[in-house]
Amino acid sequence: MAIKNAKLKIKDCNGMGMYIHIPFCIKKCRYCDFYSLPGKNESDLDNYVRALLKEIRIRGEQMPAVQLESIYLGGGTPSMLDGRQLGSIIRACGDNFTIIPGAEISMEANPATLDKAKLAAMEAAGINRLSLGVQSFFDDELALMGRVHDAAAVRETVELIHSRGWENFNLDLIYGLPGQSLKRWWQNLKQALDCKPCHLSLYLLQLEEHTPMGKDAAQGRLQMLDEDEEWRMYNLAMEYLAERGFVHYEISNFCRPGWECRHNLVYWQGREYLGLGAGAVSFVAGSRYMNQPDFKGYTGALISGEQWPIKELERMEGRELMIDALILGLRLCEGIDLAHFQQRFGVDISSEYKGIIVQYMNRGLLNIENGRLSFTKAGYFLSNQVLSQFMD
Amino acid sequence: MQNRIRNFSIIAHIDHGKSTLADRLLQFTGALSDREMREQFLDKMDLEREKGITIKLQPVRLNYRSRDGQDYILNLIDTPGHVDFTYEVSRSLASCEGALLVVDASQGIEAQTLANVYMAMDLNLEIVGLVNKIDLPGAEPDRVKQEMEDVLGLEKEGILPISAKLGTGIEEVLEAIVKQVPPPKGDENGPLQALIFDSYFDSYKGAISYIRVVNGSVRQGDIIRMMSSGKEFEIYEIGVLSPYMTEVETLSAGEVGYLTAGIKNVKDTRVGDTITLASQPADTALPGYQEVKPMVYCGLYPLENNDFERLRDALDRLKLNDASLFYEPETSDALGFGFRCGFLGLLHLEIIRERLEREYDLSLLATAPSVVYKIVLTDGSEILVQNPAHWPPAQRTERIMEPFVKASIMVPNEYVGTIMELCQDKRGSFITMEYLTSQRVMISYKLPLSEILYDFFDALKSRTRGYASLDYEISGYEVSNLVKMDIMLNGEIVDALSFITHQDRAYYRGRATTEKLRKIIPRQMYEVAIQAAVGSKIIARETVKAMRKDVLAKCYGGDITRKKKLLEKQKEGKKKMKQIGRVEVPKDAFMSVMNIEDE
Repeated sequence: MAIKNAKLKIKDCNGMGMYIHIPFCIKKCRYCDFYSLPGKNESDLDNYVRALLKEIRIRGEQMPAVQLESIYLGGGTPSMLDGRQLGSIIRACGDNFTIIPGAEISMEANPATLDKAKLAAMEAAGINRLSLGVQSFFDDELALMGRVHDAAAVRETVELIHSRGWENFNLDLIYGLPGQSLKRWWQNLKQALDCKPCHLSLYLLQLEEHTPMGKDAAQGRLQMLDEDEEWRMYNLAMEYLAERGFVHYEISNFCRPGWECRHNLVYWQGREYLGLGAGAVSFVAGSRYMNQPDFKGYTGALISGEQWPIKELERMEGRELMIDALILGLRLCEGIDLAHFQQRFGVDISSEYKGIIVQYMNRGLLNIENGRLSFTKAGYFLSNQVLSQFMD
Repeated sequence: MQNRIRNFSIIAHIDHGKSTLADRLLQFTGALSDREMREQFLDKMDLEREKGITIKLQPVRLNYRSRDGQDYILNLIDTPGHVDFTYEVSRSLASCEGALLVVDASQGIEAQTLANVYMAMDLNLEIVGLVNKIDLPGAEPDRVKQEMEDVLGLEKEGILPISAKLGTGIEEVLEAIVKQVPPPKGDENGPLQALIFDSYFDSYKGAISYIRVVNGSVRQGDIIRMMSSGKEFEIYEIGVLSPYMTEVETLSAGEVGYLTAGIKNVKDTRVGDTITLASQPADTALPGYQEVKPMVYCGLYPLENNDFERLRDALDRLKLNDASLFYEPETSDALGFGFRCGFLGLLHLEIIRERLEREYDLSLLATAPSVVYKIVLTDGSEILVQNPAHWPPAQRTERIMEPFVKASIMVPNEYVGTIMELCQDKRGSFITMEYLTSQRVMISYKLPLSEILYDFFDALKSRTRGYASLDYEISGYEVSNLVKMDIMLNGEIVDALSFITHQDRAYYRGRATTEKLRKIIPRQMYEVAIQAAVGSKIIARETVKAMRKDVLAKCYGGDITRKKKLLEKQKEGKKKMKQIGRVEVPKDAFMSVMNIEDE
């Protein structure tokens, strides 16, 4: 039986997050620009898990006092791991770090990879939150994106999840697909709600040029939607989900009250996290680090033990840290606590950035209320306009 | 001494191999070792090398031992090939006694070849004809020689076949220079008369002037006098370019070199001025140069308002190196303080703008270029307008005139129809057509200058698969039915976007311009209305819809660093915009208003 997410209040908890990257996919989706390896090769997977276990041990030796508030297995397709592998990874985390009781242990899953046995194995391993990469409830849309599953697989999987008593699960949906109508999007939302998830991540399709869909769009084979239409879709989601009792808590994330994804909150609240696995990013003591991103380099380095496959991406101090925290914090609908910021960084944002704040308050994009600076509903979809102004 | 000096230029149509020939001459005479050699050696500016063209004339001294056993000094003054820089060519020719005429063995004579040759003939220069690129598969040296004889009157027997690329025939060229180009004929013992044919500003040495000594001689330490201003300076350094600056003690009649005299004010060493000695001044100045009049004007504005003084300083310094550049301060409601600048053509404009940005680290906005209109007002007075913002209201104008050119277009005869069509489209009127050979035709048209400035040359090239060549000269002003088109953003006229157009084209131009601006102006926080109006009549309207989306849909642990870089880039991008009222306009918008393809 899955453990229901203990309702720790967001601010009460100060543990670290841990992200574990599993860079394998059955097939790469046509919009995806993450590092992943296609196909499933048993020995590759085994090697990778071996390397990962070694990294967990090394990181644990380096930072033995770390308390984990969340563990998040993302990808790629972590659900390609078998029960044994999953169990060994989570166990290793517990052996080498302290997992706070009631911690959120999430895993991303592709509907095509779940069955009864896999779910049972996940439960046994201690996974207590599932994020299901649904993306759409329509086969034509799924085909356009190059997803490996169809809509029927989603329904079956959701049924299975319910039958085993899981409550804490998220569905990922993508909107703004070429040719997608507002009505289609609404139908997607409705079907998603019918699945009774406690969390929804709704991502606007944003294509990098080097992805297959990105190339199609650049060369005119795909016609992207007009941004007015994209805005209408976003707005529809905000209105509709609010009506159905969902809280909008981050630009692209919605949940039933109290079911925020604690792992993602770690990011947006500017807190520290460890990233393990090929290409994973860590944020510790003001610096971001990235593990060697390719499978071979990462596993080779760890298994041979010759080098530590990590490099620093950026080192931040004082003001840079504050801007970093500001940009992340404003993604949250509750915004940032100005007093808390002043305490943390010694900067009074409301006077330091008065010009920018007033300008965008006048335009109805920003709001200050109860000592918090936040975006308005109209502001989320234009947030880059505002956030870029805070950059040095 | 003078008997051993030869001063010559190379003239050629663009791309006929002038700079490559100069490279070979430098190599052959040992001015440069193979190690020092690089392509287009004399084209010093990055811009010249990038574009593969010569913009500035460039002198160099070559030492050559002829087959007659004597040592000669050959002064080569390299010249630009583009029609915008005909003025530079004329200056260089005026300092020489001879010219190498380079014609491409597969292309044959082109419009500018003719213009340059006529210029050289007017100056009584000895012309040595060369047929270049004889190594290419399509080369027809005999046909081209015949053409040169028929059209230019050069004896075909004397024309040398060469391949500058392979170095074939280079020694023959040097011999021809020695034998055919006459030595200079100045009086070495007379009072000094030295012509400043170019100068530029060096931040260490001050102004550096290139001179041709016509009479007398000059040595280090001499006190010189500028004959136009009477100002006197002591010479710090004189020397020759071989091709690097090499100091010499004295330069005498017939020689070409440079001098520095601690001249800090760029205005004190004017190109075309005559230098003489304070102790023994010459009675008269040398003829100098005709002042060139700019053909096209545009406003140049610093994107950062406080760069205005830096821009002025940069223009002052460039002017020293480019006498044809004209500028005066102006203000624009939309853009603030800047300069109205005059240029010889659009390439000249583009090059000056790029030089200002690169060499002086400025970020500039150029307004739409305009020719100079002559307007007779109802009170009988006549004004010149080179800024559309100063266009008088219709009720005050009696007559409007615009500059016309006589354009000479040379094409293979199968393109005659195409060319005539193009010229008619551009409001041209036919003058004559002449068969230079059975294959090649010279068509003359009278065309408004404003019509050929923008895309005429490109259209010409594309419609003739690159075979047409063009030369033109101003023929005078004629009455035209012109109107001023105002462009409004959110109801406010943006003076810097106004332009002049023919009445018959106003509707089309208005529509095309607003449409183009709609594509160029990015979506903003508010809707932007773009309107085109003649007087109070709106003839076109487009709308840039308000921005709806500017968001990073996904942002989590793994890519925060990357997303922040995107935001930084976005902020940088804003700096390339000019804020006009509430509207942010990309700086390229102003110039692009003019580049509207005809349908």
